[in-house]
Amino acid sequence: MNALEVRELTKVYPEFKLDKVSFCVEQGHISGLIGRNGAGKSTTIKSILRLISAEGNVSVFGKDFLKEEMVVKQMIGYVGGGFRYYPMNTLAAIRKAYAPFYPSWNQSRYEKFLSQFELIESKKVKELSEGMKVKFALALALSHGAKLLIMDEPTSGLDPLSREEFCDIILQLVREEGVSVLFSTHITSDLMRIADDIVYISQGKIIAACPLKELLGKYKQAQFSSLAAATEANAIGVKPVKDGYEGLVNSNVQGLRDAVIIDTTIDSIMVHLEKANKERKYAESD
Amino acid sequence: MLNLIKKEIRLCLHPTAFIFLLFAVLVFVPNYPYEVIFFFSCLSVFFSCMMARENGDISFTCTLPVKKEQIPLAKISVIFGLQCTILLLVGIIGAIKGVVLPAEQYVNQAGISANLVLVGNGAILLGIFNLIFFPCYFKKTDKIGAPFIIGAIIIFLLIGVFIVLRWATPLYSITLNGLNSENTGAKLAALAIGIVVYVVLTAASCKLSIKNFQKVDL
Repeated sequence: MNALEVRELTKVYPEFKLDKVSFCVEQGHISGLIGRNGAGKSTTIKSILRLISAEGNVSVFGKDFLKEEMVVKQMIGYVGGGFRYYPMNTLAAIRKAYAPFYPSWNQSRYEKFLSQFELIESKKVKELSEGMKVKFALALALSHGAKLLIMDEPTSGLDPLSREEFCDIILQLVREEGVSVLFSTHITSDLMRIADDIVYISQGKIIAACPLKELLGKYKQAQFSSLAAATEANAIGVKPVKDGYEGLVNSNVQGLRDAVIIDTTIDSIMVHLEKANKERKYAESD
Repeated sequence: MLNLIKKEIRLCLHPTAFIFLLFAVLVFVPNYPYEVIFFFSCLSVFFSCMMARENGDISFTCTLPVKKEQIPLAKISVIFGLQCTILLLVGIIGAIKGVVLPAEQYVNQAGISANLVLVGNGAILLGIFNLIFFPCYFKKTDKIGAPFIIGAIIIFLLIGVFIVLRWATPLYSITLNGLNSENTGAKLAALAIGIVVYVVLTAASCKLSIKNFQKVDL
């Protein structure tokens, strides 16, 4: 059973359209929702959580979100970019207001997370660092036994060490607690370390939804000495770099002249596919 | 729903929501338009909603296992409780004033006396404020100023109307004015009308707020 199934999620704004977004998060998997700023990551997550009204279906562990909203919300833990709520309140005050909503709230588990994350409950939210705020949100989400974590850019604003630590915690939770995770970010290096699957969204449309290895195996990054060589190789999203031109090529391509082929990363796939998209858009508008 | 109300009280009420309840003692101020006491109650609603906005309260609440329609219901229920408290306090402290002060000091040159009719008037004012403020607030929860200003203008216009009635009509200047022990039946009727108007308008406000909030994208 999938932890999360999103089918044909559509939301139309005057200047942006989330266009029939469909993907799944497998149970016990970490799925990275990637895309540039404004691609529709947050809109997708808000639509999943019904913070905005969107068309389409969302089901969590086989339960329809709209029909069984209360049951589904008990299974979800939402972690936004840090904990931006009630800055003047203490963690204890927030916990006291939050915990009664969840019959499955486990106080000893919460205290365990507080001590593991070195959080002090008498502190106010505004006194926490960005990393600590994310950890507090995580402690709240996990203490009510959330089976699916939905995280909207939780590592934005964190320094590299805090990001590393956060990713370690997520990985540990998936391995030890069996939680499933949808993790939106534009810092793709985090996902290279921990993600099983990638959902790539661009201009409100899903470009790819597949295992990370499959996505990385689909392309190679090629560096060409000239633009002509890149064009001849049908490279995708060619752009000038310091020592020539760079683009993506299909991983099974052979016999390229004047090209250095290396393994690709999520970053470079995003950069070149976005560039190719942009060029296609310009060509269509001309 | 009970958890949501507790959360509202714990995290969303501005301290003035409680402090302004104490303003019920203003009924002891001689020659003062006592209906203004109820405006302070409206002001505390404004402060609480502003605090909720700064705290990201609505977004936070929407991620909790609650139905969207319960959110306006819980907020308005808490305010309903506070407004009933101020109405009750004004009624009680007004009655105490009637007992402890001589009758001539009970007469108010700036409006109606601190009697049951004042409570009825206050209920009408609060009901009208609720009907204006909450449906607008729950249409766009980050826009609090405009609904409050519109509500406040109408409240003060109505206070003006009540003061004019006090001087211009025998019903208000004689029958409904003065101690509760005089013309008690008429005063109770005015209070009952005020309470009915308040309940009906607040219920309508709640219904409209729920309807508007369903369409809000956070």
